[in-house]
Amino acid sequence: MNVIEVSNLSFGYSKSPVLDDLSFEVESGSFLAIAGPNGAGKSTLLNLLCAVLKSKSGTIRIDGSPIKSYGPKTLAKKVAVVRQEFVPVFGFSVFDTVMMARTTYFGQMGFESRADRKIVNEALEATDTAQFSSRLLGNLSGGERQRVFIARALAQNTAILLLDEPTSFLDLKHQVGIYDLLKAAQLEKGKTIVAVTHDVNLAAQYADVVLLLEVRSNYHHGEAKEVFSTKHIEKVFGVRTFTGRVGREKFFLPLGRLAKDGQITPPNPSSEQPK
Amino acid sequence: MDKSLTAKKLIVTVTLALTLLVVVMFLCSLMGTERVSLRKVFGSTGPQELVNPDYEIFVSVRLPRIILAVIVGAALACAGVVFQAILRNPLADPYILGISSGAGLGAIIAVLSGLNWVFWGRSPIAVFAFAGAMGTIWLVWFIGRLTGKSHITGLLLAGVVVNAFFSAVIMFLTSVAKSEQVHSTIFWLMGNMAEEDFFVLWLSAGAVAAGILALFYISPQLNVISFGQDDARNMGVNVTAIQTIAFAAAAFITAVAVSLSGLIGFVGLIVPHGVRLVFGPDHRQLLPLSGIVGAIFLVAADTLARIIVAPAQLPVGVVTAIVGGPFFLVLLVKHTHKVGWLGK
Repeated sequence: MNVIEVSNLSFGYSKSPVLDDLSFEVESGSFLAIAGPNGAGKSTLLNLLCAVLKSKSGTIRIDGSPIKSYGPKTLAKKVAVVRQEFVPVFGFSVFDTVMMARTTYFGQMGFESRADRKIVNEALEATDTAQFSSRLLGNLSGGERQRVFIARALAQNTAILLLDEPTSFLDLKHQVGIYDLLKAAQLEKGKTIVAVTHDVNLAAQYADVVLLLEVRSNYHHGEAKEVFSTKHIEKVFGVRTFTGRVGREKFFLPLGRLAKDGQITPPNPSSEQPK
Repeated sequence: MDKSLTAKKLIVTVTLALTLLVVVMFLCSLMGTERVSLRKVFGSTGPQELVNPDYEIFVSVRLPRIILAVIVGAALACAGVVFQAILRNPLADPYILGISSGAGLGAIIAVLSGLNWVFWGRSPIAVFAFAGAMGTIWLVWFIGRLTGKSHITGLLLAGVVVNAFFSAVIMFLTSVAKSEQVHSTIFWLMGNMAEEDFFVLWLSAGAVAAGILALFYISPQLNVISFGQDDARNMGVNVTAIQTIAFAAAAFITAVAVSLSGLIGFVGLIVPHGVRLVFGPDHRQLLPLSGIVGAIFLVAADTLARIIVAPAQLPVGVVTAIVGGPFFLVLLVKHTHKVGWLGK
């Protein structure tokens, strides 16, 4: 069953199109990575999927209904969003920040119920952030803060999680930690994950399906091992890569200077066949 | 164990703060150039005595002024909280979007027109200042909406430009006005607490209380909006509706305060920050506590303004800045670790 269906979607800022006639579906409980170079429209697409932006043409259906038919409250019960890491203006604690995800469920007096507190505590436990729940968000490291924002999205108790570059600015350990967390949410809680990322290696490892966007509105959609070919990577990103394997997992090493110096000759992209 | 806010905690804190406000109001009503005896105010003074001076000072002079300070202090502090939240700007105060220059322009137009009538107990200066403040805030909001999605930045810029433009018009009008007209306008603009009759006080109190109640009703959503419009929308907040209510109610209570007492600076900036430093940023608690602390602060500041250079009086804005500034800095240094906008 598809929880997200995008048909003939087009969007542009001013007159130049960013997304043009884009169509794809996301199956319930799957992990979709949206990759592509800067300016390809990854974050734009994410903002369209959570109704922060409105499409010029085409349709987006969430859970079978057009996204335009949902008000903010109803949509917030279906889709939660984690944006790029940032420090809030005012000093909210971790617990208070995660509790904000329950605002739509608050009673008439504007206070949370016991059930809300239970859900928040579970989200804090799942993201290993319960240990610093009384600390201020501004006093955490980038990785810790990003886990708190994921806890907040989990506390929103939605079937779909959208994430905009959740590991930008994080070191390798924290990048892997965040993706492990997302994979656990997918496999253990049945969440549908849609993550925008620049990191093709993490996307190849964790995502079931990949949407690779090109700058001029072309795109490739399919299983990670098919979409992430050396040919596609070079075409989309304009960089020659060395492709290797660790067990069954494929990895890409951008060659950059090495390719120019002729120290390493990458395989001919046109000869590579997906396995 | 989390330390988050519960309804019970809020009720206890607000009750304690209200008790403190009543105590401060009571003590301040006894202070002034004339000593007032409570026994004489409420006690029998003998059948032959027609006038009870203690009663007159207490009920007709000090009590209205103290109630006025409560209304204005609460309105400015709550408006400051809300403007800081919706503009996501710690430097925001109730006058940030040009309300001050709009009210000033209204006041000077009233003075220069030589109007002389009373509308619901209010002078033309007060009525025109209220209209000027509301008109300006509507103009800034309208221009801000035209700037599109990132209209918070648009609002701030529109506020700065409208403020500068109206300030220039005020300067022009004061340049061509007679000196006594200029004097009365500038004195009014500096902020002052004059005795008002009870009809005006109850009317204003009702208007401000209604505005604060509306703001309290949307305080959980203000928490979420302070994380950004997109985040708030994704957490189920109807951002446009909440911003419109917050903006309209905060502008309205500020305009009521300005029409009562002119421009009193500092209360709307430092009281919200002071309360946030001690009690945290949760708007469900921050808003009512800021209102009460703002009232306490202005009652105390006005009492000092009455007695420091007695029998003369200082403009209350001078006292709010001189007393409030150092007090706020002490709080800031002591609670720096609680301040989100200073980072780690």
